[in-house]
Amino acid sequence: MSEDKNSKHNRHHRSTLFDSMYPLVALTLALVACVELCDAATVVDVYRLIQYDISGAPFGSRFSSLNHHAASLSFHPGADLSRSVLILPLRDLDLAFLQDYISQKQSLGGLLILLPQMFRPGGNVISETLGLRRLLGQLEKLLIHSNIPFPVYFAFENEETDAMLADVKKNDALGQQATATTGGYKLVISVSEPRKIASPTITNIQGWLPGSRAEGDSNQLPTIAVVASYDTFGAAPALSVGSDSNGSGVVALLEVARLFSTLYSNPKTRGRYNLLFALTSGGPYNYEGTQKWLKSLDQRMRESIDYAICLNSVGSWDNELLVHVSKPPENAYIKQIFEGFSNVAEDLGFQVSLKHKKINISNSRVAWEHEQFSRLRVTAATVSGLSAPPELLESAGSLSDTRQHVNEDAIIKGVKLVAESLARHIYGHQGKDIQIFADNSSLAVNPFYVRSWLDSLSQTPRVAPFLSKNEPLIMALKKELEDYTAEVSIQQESLDGIFTFYDSTKASLNIYQVASVTFDLLLLLVLGSYLIMLFSFLVITTRGLDDLISIFRRPPSRKMKMA
Amino acid sequence: MTLFHFFNCAILTFGPHAVYYSATPLSEYDTLGTSVKAAVVYLATALVKLVCLATFLQVSETEVFDPYQEALKAMIGFIDVAGLYFALAQLTHRNISQNHKFQAVGLGWAFADSVLHRLAPLWVGARGLEFTWDYVLQGLEANANLVFTISLAALGSLMWLRKNKPKTLIPIIYTCAVIIATMPSITSYLRRVMGWHFPKVVGFELMTSLVMAFISCQLFILCQRPSL
Repeated sequence: MSEDKNSKHNRHHRSTLFDSMYPLVALTLALVACVELCDAATVVDVYRLIQYDISGAPFGSRFSSLNHHAASLSFHPGADLSRSVLILPLRDLDLAFLQDYISQKQSLGGLLILLPQMFRPGGNVISETLGLRRLLGQLEKLLIHSNIPFPVYFAFENEETDAMLADVKKNDALGQQATATTGGYKLVISVSEPRKIASPTITNIQGWLPGSRAEGDSNQLPTIAVVASYDTFGAAPALSVGSDSNGSGVVALLEVARLFSTLYSNPKTRGRYNLLFALTSGGPYNYEGTQKWLKSLDQRMRESIDYAICLNSVGSWDNELLVHVSKPPENAYIKQIFEGFSNVAEDLGFQVSLKHKKINISNSRVAWEHEQFSRLRVTAATVSGLSAPPELLESAGSLSDTRQHVNEDAIIKGVKLVAESLARHIYGHQGKDIQIFADNSSLAVNPFYVRSWLDSLSQTPRVAPFLSKNEPLIMALKKELEDYTAEVSIQQESLDGIFTFYDSTKASLNIYQVASVTFDLLLLLVLGSYLIMLFSFLVITTRGLDDLISIFRRPPSRKMKMA
Repeated sequence: MTLFHFFNCAILTFGPHAVYYSATPLSEYDTLGTSVKAAVVYLATALVKLVCLATFLQVSETEVFDPYQEALKAMIGFIDVAGLYFALAQLTHRNISQNHKFQAVGLGWAFADSVLHRLAPLWVGARGLEFTWDYVLQGLEANANLVFTISLAALGSLMWLRKNKPKTLIPIIYTCAVIIATMPSITSYLRRVMGWHFPKVVGFELMTSLVMAFISCQLFILCQRPSL
């Protein structure tokens, strides 16, 4: 009797205990379920192909998230790759195959292009491989101008990707396509779908260095402008550092500004010309930023510009620098400018050539920055190492345009050319054999300055729609110009027109090694039989064989009992 | 199919305990209470061990096998034995025969051990997409641990609950108990000094557990003869 009461009491205690534990149990379960499953063996940084529209026509890779098995080039011909990610190392790239694939609109789960480490911004200088650079350029051209309905990502080769690729190749060679039932590697990039960038801003930075007015002279001083566009465009916007196009131009402009600020700081050596330095954005998009900047200038200021020198890709030339103009070479101003350049170039030991390209008003394509000036009746010329005008969205900071391939001596020579010819024009020493910015003088070009700015620009991707209004780069350029000029102003406009951009440029790729479903089923079978064997073994040893048989015969025996 | 893998490893780790309970006469005599009590004693023992380890042990950055540290860890391991003694001898159980008492205590103890040490890694790790053999090996280790614990409980019940034992067998009983109690130190020695990988260590544990189970079974039977 007391035992019954006791057991009832115990049971009551137990039930209340369980009741009170319910919320605790539920809470722990909820917490535990929130534990993040970041357990991939390998995580790799990947950079997405650009996605943009021109007047509504889509280009680039239209998707960003990825969750498929890995496949390599040695797949079975005729295999279905619509649920696989193709891994393509750049070295093994067959451009014709890729072109066919894209033009025939065949479905693919995704494309992962592995670039050698030498193309990494900030990477070490490795031996020259011209063939790879050319191949990369062609690949970029193909990808930028196609509409690709699957995600395309770039990644840099490392040991883990090499090992994975070797494994995948081996499996593919055996004919086993990696699917849910045969295991293999799974590549997962979990990002949200790309959205349009609402109103991308372009930021122009201008610095004004006033000249000295003679006493009693009330006329406006003439102005000389030095302009360079600082933003880039490339296949992978997160990797688009544009060391030559146009990092070299920006560095050259900053160095010229520094030299002239030293000259102008002393009132005795201040020239009778104002100097206007402008770092413009929107370069790859028909120099829209330059146009907006020019239109925002006061009309009187614009009319006072004697001429403008635009700097574009001055980092990888050897013996010949080109001066591109749109006014005919017989024009007096052009003649004067070019003569100034060739005299200085002769002294410095290299060659300059003049190239004339007429502007076609009906064509909206603006190939050089000086054309925007010419359209507003300002004399301008572009100093560049390029001989041919770049196509739309090309040569504006491609993947192969890295620090290793920029020659700082070329930039220094370019700076000397521009600075000397400007100085000779300002101070009226044309044709005279004077070196104002001689080496080993206090006005010498500073190679360390050039190198450090070039290095830091070569590690900063600068695609304009992805730069925020207060981007550190813009602030740094503004501060630098503030050091050298008297007045700095920033103009922010929105990049309207025909271009639309989409975000999501960088992601993390998780590489999982997965076992197939058949493996799991097999394991379940093995474990099931193990447990059954264990059960039978224990029953036989502790209760005897009869008991084991009786477990399976229970229903009939009960029936017999009842009967 | 990662939840699938988690399910597989879970039944490998915890299945044998349930199977043991239902297959042997333990379920007929309703010894669940004993097992639960043993589990609670295990939790208390684990807490005490943790505190002692934190107080006395120095954390070394490298995986160097320091004999003094290992000896200290082995001594703290004997707290396990003390806990088992408490569960076997001191707690009042319902009237169960000795035969079943040690099995129930061993079962509860091993189940608590598995849950404490293996459930959390299993939940966090086996559900991911990445496949490793680690969790299957962990399950096999749980099985070996079950056998070890039941053998230790058997030897423990022989040592503390049975008064009349043949004199010759007493040293053997104590040696076997010591071996089983220092099993964790032996495995860590194998892993660090000899550099054995996890699968090899698990294989070694499984084999020794079977050998030990056989020996303790024999000892138990031999000790039962005088009372028959």
